[in-house]
Amino acid sequence: MIEVNGLTRTYGAFTAVDDVTFTCEPGRVTGFLGPNGAGKSTTMRVMVGLTPPTRGSVTIGGHRYEDIPNPGRHVGVLLDAGAQHAGRTGREVLEIGARTMGLPKDRVDEMLAMVSLTDSEAGRRMGNYSLGMKQRLGIAHALLGDPEVLVLDEPANGLDPAGIRWMRDLLKGYARRGGTVLLSSHLLHEVELVADEMILIGRGRIVAQGDKATLLAGQGAAATQVTAEDNDALAGALTSAGHDVTPDGAGLRVTATPAEVSRTAMDARLVLTDLRAAGAGLEDLFLSLTSDTQREAAPAASPAPTQDGAAA
Amino acid sequence: MSATSPTSTPTSTPTSTLRRTIDISQDQPVPFGRLVAVETRKVFDTRAGRWFSIAIVGLVLVVTGFAALLFPEDQQTYVELLGLSGGVLTYFLPVLMILLVTSEWSQRTGLATFTLEPRRSRVIAAKVVCGLGLSVAGLALGALIAAGGTLLSTVDGGEAVWTLGWEPVQSFLLTALIGVLVAFALAMLVRSSPAAIVGYFLYTFVLPAVAATVAALVDGFDAVVPWIELNTAQTPLISGDYRATGEEWAQLGTAALIWLVVPFALGLWRLLRAEVK
Repeated sequence: MIEVNGLTRTYGAFTAVDDVTFTCEPGRVTGFLGPNGAGKSTTMRVMVGLTPPTRGSVTIGGHRYEDIPNPGRHVGVLLDAGAQHAGRTGREVLEIGARTMGLPKDRVDEMLAMVSLTDSEAGRRMGNYSLGMKQRLGIAHALLGDPEVLVLDEPANGLDPAGIRWMRDLLKGYARRGGTVLLSSHLLHEVELVADEMILIGRGRIVAQGDKATLLAGQGAAATQVTAEDNDALAGALTSAGHDVTPDGAGLRVTATPAEVSRTAMDARLVLTDLRAAGAGLEDLFLSLTSDTQREAAPAASPAPTQDGAAA
Repeated sequence: MSATSPTSTPTSTPTSTLRRTIDISQDQPVPFGRLVAVETRKVFDTRAGRWFSIAIVGLVLVVTGFAALLFPEDQQTYVELLGLSGGVLTYFLPVLMILLVTSEWSQRTGLATFTLEPRRSRVIAAKVVCGLGLSVAGLALGALIAAGGTLLSTVDGGEAVWTLGWEPVQSFLLTALIGVLVAFALAMLVRSSPAAIVGYFLYTFVLPAVAATVAALVDGFDAVVPWIELNTAQTPLISGDYRATGEEWAQLGTAALIWLVVPFALGLWRLLRAEVK
């Protein structure tokens, strides 16, 4: 259980985290989602006492992090997998953690096996690690003390698809056993498959939170993904029927319901090879919500090249 | 909460009843001895750290061996060789001390260190104990090497001269430890390896020269220098009879206040509040 209450962190005139309040429940994976520089990492650093807050507070399991006597045994933290001495071996990094926490020696081997780092990989220096290996080691480090709470900043960064699936299963299993997981990402698809709960943050402010269904409810405009044998003909028919059509991959994306698209295709005697509801996905929601926060700072009428930057 | 939020407000808990879902009543803090042991391990468990230590010892060996074989007979006594090996060490032990602190920032290991022990003052205390321990161990090893050099000096004739009073040992140790503590204070203040190392050598080489130059130019300043310049204040400890008088102790006190106590307190204060990134 993590409780963030009215958290604000300013750097001079810049507000990195602006009155942020949310709760991460045990038994659930909470995704912390926002574009780069939205304040995710700052929030997470405040959680574990690395950055002093300007206002507000964070408690983990009812305690301030600084008040937990041996915090590694309760809270697993991975803030930056690259933040390790380049000349230290992976095994040694875990060894130091295990010694500090007072864990039995075989715990290191256990964790290395769990994240599938071989003996020879574990004996390599961090400077020779790929980003994916660093992430695996970082996860092992976070799980060393068998904690009840996990705080992970961009843990999927640099993992290959198999690695991402592995981590998804790991975190789901961890939450199913009653653990609390908070993981951040700037990539929506990394989070939406694993998170039970999502918190969207943009420019230091929370713009939306809830589970996926709640977030998508009321995201009006229907959209359909469609592919026809003759896309050009279909596009023409749909446009003259008054729908917006944009090419998308091998097919088209249409602002209409699948039924409407199907009817238009039938009337025009066109054969469809693929038809599905695209809805306003989380991605659109995510982008619209975070660009809203940007419009609060810059007038919508002015040319806003920053919007592309945020979407990238 | 933003007006654009499509969700209801989160199920927040009343702040009056804090739910304690993590039981820490049986927890023991990380024992201080374990922190010291871990910090000591971290000095040697990287390639750079290991080679730095080996290089220091190697240099002491070479310099002492060189003196034992080639220096004039009267500079091959145990006291002379002890001063020599100790001299080499007093250049490098402060660097080792600086890296104890600054590597947490330059290599960003502080993220792990200070999350596993968020009470930073305990980590700093462990580093001080570790650094002082390593310094004393290094100096002891230096004394051993100097003893070897004294024995070696007899191969080209002459005798091994062992006369060594308690004062020089005490004074050498004190000056060496003052040096490493000043370095540690500087490291906490700037938290950058190159800046702290350059700063330390400015303090130990340039500052006394500047003080001496000003003293030569300004009438009466030479009487002030030992009160405000820590290197100058330590001169009585490392020359003559290796003993400081009452007034010289007082000078050491005021100079140490300026160059050791204040920077240490300020550095600690800054470090305890610094953001670890």
